[in-house]
Amino acid sequence: MSEIFNIQLVQTTLRTATPVVLCALGCLMSEQVGIMNIGVDGMMLMGAFFAVLGSYLFGSWVMGLALVMVVGVLLGLFYYVFSVKFKSDEFIIGVALNILAGGLTVFLLRTLFGVKGSFSGPGIVPLPTIHIPWLENVPVLGPILSGNTLLVYVSWLLVLVSWLFLYKTPLGFHLRASGEAPEALRASGRSPEKMKRLASVLCGVLATLSGAHLSLGYLTMFSENMSASRGYVAVACVIFGGSNPPRVFLAALLFGFIDALGMRLQKYIPSDVTSMAPYVVTVVMMVIVVLFRRSRLAAHAKKLG
Amino acid sequence: MNTGFVQSVRALFALKPKQKLTTQYLFSLLIAVTLAFLVGAGLMLLCGYDPITCYAAMFKGALGKPRAMGNTLAKTVTLCLTGLAMSVAAKAGIFNVGGEGQLFLGALAAAVVGARMDGAAGWLIVLCSLLAAMAAGGAYAWVPGALKVKLKVNEVVTTILLNSAAIYFCSYMANGPLKTADRGIATGTDSIASYAVFTPLIPLSNLTTGVFYAAGIALFVWYLMTRSTVGFEMKITGTNARFARYGGIRADRLALWGMTLSGMICGIVGMLEVFGLHHRFITTISSGFYFDGMLVAMIMRYQPVGVILMSFFFAILNIGGSAMELSAGISSEVLLIVQSVIIFFMAAEGGISEMVRTRSAARRLRRAARKAEKEAAV
Repeated sequence: MSEIFNIQLVQTTLRTATPVVLCALGCLMSEQVGIMNIGVDGMMLMGAFFAVLGSYLFGSWVMGLALVMVVGVLLGLFYYVFSVKFKSDEFIIGVALNILAGGLTVFLLRTLFGVKGSFSGPGIVPLPTIHIPWLENVPVLGPILSGNTLLVYVSWLLVLVSWLFLYKTPLGFHLRASGEAPEALRASGRSPEKMKRLASVLCGVLATLSGAHLSLGYLTMFSENMSASRGYVAVACVIFGGSNPPRVFLAALLFGFIDALGMRLQKYIPSDVTSMAPYVVTVVMMVIVVLFRRSRLAAHAKKLG
Repeated sequence: MNTGFVQSVRALFALKPKQKLTTQYLFSLLIAVTLAFLVGAGLMLLCGYDPITCYAAMFKGALGKPRAMGNTLAKTVTLCLTGLAMSVAAKAGIFNVGGEGQLFLGALAAAVVGARMDGAAGWLIVLCSLLAAMAAGGAYAWVPGALKVKLKVNEVVTTILLNSAAIYFCSYMANGPLKTADRGIATGTDSIASYAVFTPLIPLSNLTTGVFYAAGIALFVWYLMTRSTVGFEMKITGTNARFARYGGIRADRLALWGMTLSGMICGIVGMLEVFGLHHRFITTISSGFYFDGMLVAMIMRYQPVGVILMSFFFAILNIGGSAMELSAGISSEVLLIVQSVIIFFMAAEGGISEMVRTRSAARRLRRAARKAEKEAAV
């Protein structure tokens, strides 16, 4: 047991949860304005590719992240234009975006780098690992909280920031209003479209950043279809976290935990079964959350009489 | 159902804008395809390839020889059936995005049953495998369907997640408990007796007698959707669930049935792949076939004729892609990009044409106003 349940498990949990956390935060912004963004999976994949591309071309991770952000803004605008301006079915656009991402990244991989499958090499500069000097020597907490890559800390910070933004600032209030009561927002003299655009761009940036963590933080390589449906898991996390950043964060952590546990159990159980677990658990969690909400509603109704 | 109800339904349909394949829609489709090909050509030029050579290689690779033609037609059938599966669910008011997983499970069930029944009569093997595939695919679709109907759990997300779960499960089975002892097969189940599998209609191609089964299924579904009471109820439910409930239709049960039927069709597609092509279950049995078919169905607004035509077109892109890669040297993924551009434009078709219409109307208005002004000045 101690071979499986130890500090390393917590470390892996945090590392594997991070892309889902970032992606889910993006998806959440989009969900708040009433755009269901299935395309985050493709955005993540594109982010993973362009992070490697930027890092490799310029020899610096800063440029990798910069390129990813530019791509993220563009993808967010793209999603906004199609789903809001052209009033297309968000679902079709999302699925098509995922297909586009799968095709484009492989196409670029083959034409730019001339490789099939995956691209790795000494030229790719990974994200820096951050050591916190005073914390490092504290037992248990030290190895967990210190020595992670940059985007892990950024994701924690962003959970707090996005919660503050959505629930404690006027802009966040307007953003939520554009999803819940666009007409009321318009009546108050503000444009719901602008809010939707903002949310969509934020979603694009966060989703592509999650990809950057995948290819520059978690591993130092890009491989075909490396997002592996994590974007969809993020969408599920948003749904059962009720679009609330801290709750969504917990949901993503749970996913990371199952994923990490599976990886450590691979010695004893075939890897296909352990890879299957997170998806099944996510579905089961969605059901449990619904049942839980329902029973709470029933209890509430009883109290009211 | 009394006639008054039917009449009120007719009135309801008259109120709704028709979502049919109009000339205008087909015209937009033509523009979208042309634009997508231009985008693809631009990419090819950027990478230093000659677009005309590439596209010629693609069409030649998909339609040039009888064998290639057969493969393209076989692919068309697969896309049509998966598109049909999507349509059945969508018309009943529920989204089935989990067809890929249902396809895998159906294929696995068919392959296992088919291989276990070695020695039985050929038709019996086919029949039992077909039923097994339908049961596996249908059951796997029933679960998210029931979750949606009973608990209101978002079916889009659950079906997508269940895809990954099913694919890993099948991979585990084909690598573990059900792995074949045959030599030279890395991952796969036991093979099905050669007398039971479908025979190719065109030598060496993927087009087999399985196409008749596919036609039979398509006919059955068409009958169900357009000529039966269930189909009529599905149509109403898909159009306006609240109205249908008011009219006494149990929308929930219909959605659940639509979902299950959709899963069964997906299972059959898996079975056809096994009996027609691989003769056993392998882990690469499908590479997103369902997603392609689903998108075809969606952009053609679930209209059968449109779905068939578009499936043929997408099959050309799919089969021609590898030939293009071999002869012209360009990565076949460029065609995936072309495909997604078509989808983007077709999804945005309504919005864009509306925009164009309002713009031109505004221009006409302005022109008329200016004319009136001039006349007043004179």
